[in-house]
Amino acid sequence: MNEATFTKEIMLEHDVKKYFEMMLESIIRSHMTITTIFLKSVTNTSSEVDRSNVNTQLAHFLMDNIRKTDLLFQLEDGEHWGIIFLQSSDIEANAFLKRIFKLLKRNRTIPNEVALKASITEIRNNDINFETLLEKNKELLADDHQPQWLIERIDDYRKQSIEHVKVSIIEQNAIFRKVLETTLNSMDIANFTFEVTAYEDGYSFLQSKSYHSGHLHLIIMNDILPRNNGLEILHSLRAMPNEKKFIIYMMSERNSEIAALNAYEGGVDELLVKPFNLRLLEAKIKRTFARYWL
Amino acid sequence: MIELSLEFLLAMIALLLIVLSGFMLYIFYQRQREVSFNKSRDHYLKDYSLLWYDYFFNNEIFSVVLIPRGKPQVKAIEIIFSSYLKNISNEEMTRKMKDFSNLYLKQFYEKDLMSKRWSIRMNALYRIADLQLDELLDACRKLEDTNYSKEEFFQLLKIYSIFQPELFMQKIKVPNANYAESEYRRLFVLLEEDVFIQFFDDFTSWPASIQFAVIDTAGAKRNMKYIDKLEHLLMNDDDEIKIRALKGLFEIGVIENIDPYIPFVTSDLWEVRLMIGKIFKYVPLAYTFPYLKQLLQDENWWVRNQAAKTIAEDRDGIEKLQEFISYSTDAYALEMAQEIITRKQGSR
Repeated sequence: MNEATFTKEIMLEHDVKKYFEMMLESIIRSHMTITTIFLKSVTNTSSEVDRSNVNTQLAHFLMDNIRKTDLLFQLEDGEHWGIIFLQSSDIEANAFLKRIFKLLKRNRTIPNEVALKASITEIRNNDINFETLLEKNKELLADDHQPQWLIERIDDYRKQSIEHVKVSIIEQNAIFRKVLETTLNSMDIANFTFEVTAYEDGYSFLQSKSYHSGHLHLIIMNDILPRNNGLEILHSLRAMPNEKKFIIYMMSERNSEIAALNAYEGGVDELLVKPFNLRLLEAKIKRTFARYWL
Repeated sequence: MIELSLEFLLAMIALLLIVLSGFMLYIFYQRQREVSFNKSRDHYLKDYSLLWYDYFFNNEIFSVVLIPRGKPQVKAIEIIFSSYLKNISNEEMTRKMKDFSNLYLKQFYEKDLMSKRWSIRMNALYRIADLQLDELLDACRKLEDTNYSKEEFFQLLKIYSIFQPELFMQKIKVPNANYAESEYRRLFVLLEEDVFIQFFDDFTSWPASIQFAVIDTAGAKRNMKYIDKLEHLLMNDDDEIKIRALKGLFEIGVIENIDPYIPFVTSDLWEVRLMIGKIFKYVPLAYTFPYLKQLLQDENWWVRNQAAKTIAEDRDGIEKLQEFISYSTDAYALEMAQEIITRKQGSR
């Protein structure tokens, strides 16, 4: 059996562990999907191949083909490589594998008898640790009779945790306020739950202090409101240190470019000109939350 | 000194007391009626608002409990419908409101149209237009036989413009009252394209307030079909019409050919030259630079400022302004070009 060979330029398993743990914490906080690929070389047993030389060539090949944002590392057994893709889903990882498999088949410096097999793990929650990740992927690629260019998948960590979102509706008209409340309460958005509260004026919203919590906070408000109008609330919220947690939808009866320009420059995320279609509001909200995860 | 007998004074006091008691009773009765009206209205709002929501947006079957049984319920429906119409746009909802109103509210508003009180008649006219109660068109026409007010006729025009545009065109030609430009704009904005465009035929026959409202509405509608009509008005002798037509063309924001605009670069009116400077932002700088350069050296500050801004908005604009600074000798133009370059670079 050939001895394990390591390439100096590639990080090793124990170096990557602490980075992985840091990334894992960012998954929930920054809504960041990460995907890992584990690769193992497969050699036709009937042929004589210098394993250590092949591994070095494969390592260089991988280094040449990953993006600057991807993290390549070698496992301590010397037989596996891992790649961590930040802000990427399994679709991109799968496309990457297909691309490098195609390139590898055409690569004349690596013997024809050598092929790769891979496993993809898309991670959207932090119910996993580095050791388990390694163990599961190694186990999946352990069978020596597996075909060449195989792509396996681990789906156990794809499920996102449900995130609690505060929703504040600030609208003076009681009938329309109730309509908005009912609409928002009946909305079903994957991986998010809404806690809807309605206010009739700006002052009661500011007094409620509900915006002080760390939750993601969707605010749907009119530009004109009694006691602290919408623009005052907008400025107060955008002046807060953690203002990024607010998604602000402003409703206005004014359909002018200047009004829209002022609203967006003031920090509004979406401007809805009244009267508007409720389905449009729902669609906009769905798109807003879909953007939070890849 | 007037001598009054004790009996007479007592009789007067008794009479006054009776009148006062009657008056008190009347006030009390009216107040009770109002309280009961509000209670009944609020009861409807509380109990049935959600049913209306489900009927409009969740395709729920219409429930008979929603049918009004008196004035308080009609008032509650008015509140619900007007809140929806003001805030929500939805064709299905509007159709359902129209059908419901024609079926169940018609008799209430028909009666209101006959009311002696102006405010009740006006409210009915507003609701007829908002809820598209087209079955009351004949009742509205009958109102013209009465001694109607200027405000009522305006509402009637609005109703005709929605339900019977031909009648609207007839009525507006023989106006019983002259309305302000802003009021005409409110009417014209509701008109369908084929009706509105008729105002451009024989344009000069209309009074000035209608002419101005037509031009402003055409700009606000941002319909490319009005470009030819507005460009044609640039030939009009009236300066105000020329300026407004240019403003309307600027609002539409599509310039296919700059030839009709070139003569206005040397117009005697600075407002016209200013509008040309604005309009040229919709044309590539390669075609307009010679004219904008001329406007940059205009005697009027606003025109110079607009020309510099329009040039600066182009991708090569700053470069063109810098080039201009290198060879121009016009101190005012140089100052303006420099100011706009500094402002533009500062905002990057």
